[in-house]
Amino acid sequence: MKKVILSLIVLSGICFQLHAQKIYSTKTGQIKFNASSPLEKVAAVNDQVDSKMVDKTGQIVFSVLIKSFKFENQLMEDHFNENYMESSKFPKAEFRGYITNVTTVNFAKDGKYPVSFDGTLNIHGVQQKVTTTGVIAIEGGKPSISGSFKVKVKDYGITGSYIGSKIADEAEISVNCKYE
Amino acid sequence: MKKKIIWGLVIVVVLGVVNIWYYVFQYSKTHHRDVANEVAMLVTSTQLVKDFQSNEKVANAKYLNKAIEVKGELLQEEKDQSGNITLTLKSGDPFSNIFCTLKPGLPLPVKGSIVVVKGVCTGFLSDVVLNNAIVVKPVE
Repeated sequence: MKKVILSLIVLSGICFQLHAQKIYSTKTGQIKFNASSPLEKVAAVNDQVDSKMVDKTGQIVFSVLIKSFKFENQLMEDHFNENYMESSKFPKAEFRGYITNVTTVNFAKDGKYPVSFDGTLNIHGVQQKVTTTGVIAIEGGKPSISGSFKVKVKDYGITGSYIGSKIADEAEISVNCKYE
Repeated sequence: MKKKIIWGLVIVVVLGVVNIWYYVFQYSKTHHRDVANEVAMLVTSTQLVKDFQSNEKVANAKYLNKAIEVKGELLQEEKDQSGNITLTLKSGDPFSNIFCTLKPGLPLPVKGSIVVVKGVCTGFLSDVVLNNAIVVKPVE
């Protein structure tokens, strides 16, 4: 009997914990990609970013489909997919990690909170550790995340035939996701 | 005679360069892939999600970057952060639906109706994702 009561207490404790954390998510986050060089504008937008974040633990995931990046120039989009990202072989890119200072964010109070991210970025089938900073803005109780960081194209084994001459060897990734 | 040949060659080369320049920088900027002109595979939303769930690799080979027509019940109509209209079609699995981003400037189907959406399949996250989509028909 005692055991039953004890396990009930433990269970209710777990339930309370589960209840106390909230998962924010979006399917329409935005990630921009910019690898322009003085010679050529190489930029794209992806409006189909899938992202989830847990407020208590700071756990965060961004997933994108490479083919969902839209370029102004169709030919550039085709090259991006076929020659650089090989998106038929590697259709997804993903960041998994943590907001390391999530405890400083008050999700109940509107405002802007600077945050740091620490995690693993997987692009083109290659994983790399990434740390970067950004801002969580709370507006009307809904959080949004913005931030940008640079990736070295070569670190991810991306070796399209034009690299070095036409496109920058560093690409800037900017994130802007509004969560529900 | 020689001069004429040289001039002819110069003209051909110049025209070639102009053509390439036009195709790369002008034509490709204004002409985007349009699913309306493409022949599409027809599939139901339930089948599409099942295919991706049972074997994503095989499903990718079958659907990725192809024009497909998906028939399903409209669950949700929203706008993304760029102002594009997005439609979610029910698949029968509440955790995995069909998520379609429409091309701008299209008339909307009625909520709750069975629709056929034609778009380019870009892959599978938690939903199967379609991009550059058009609504082929809202069927009552």
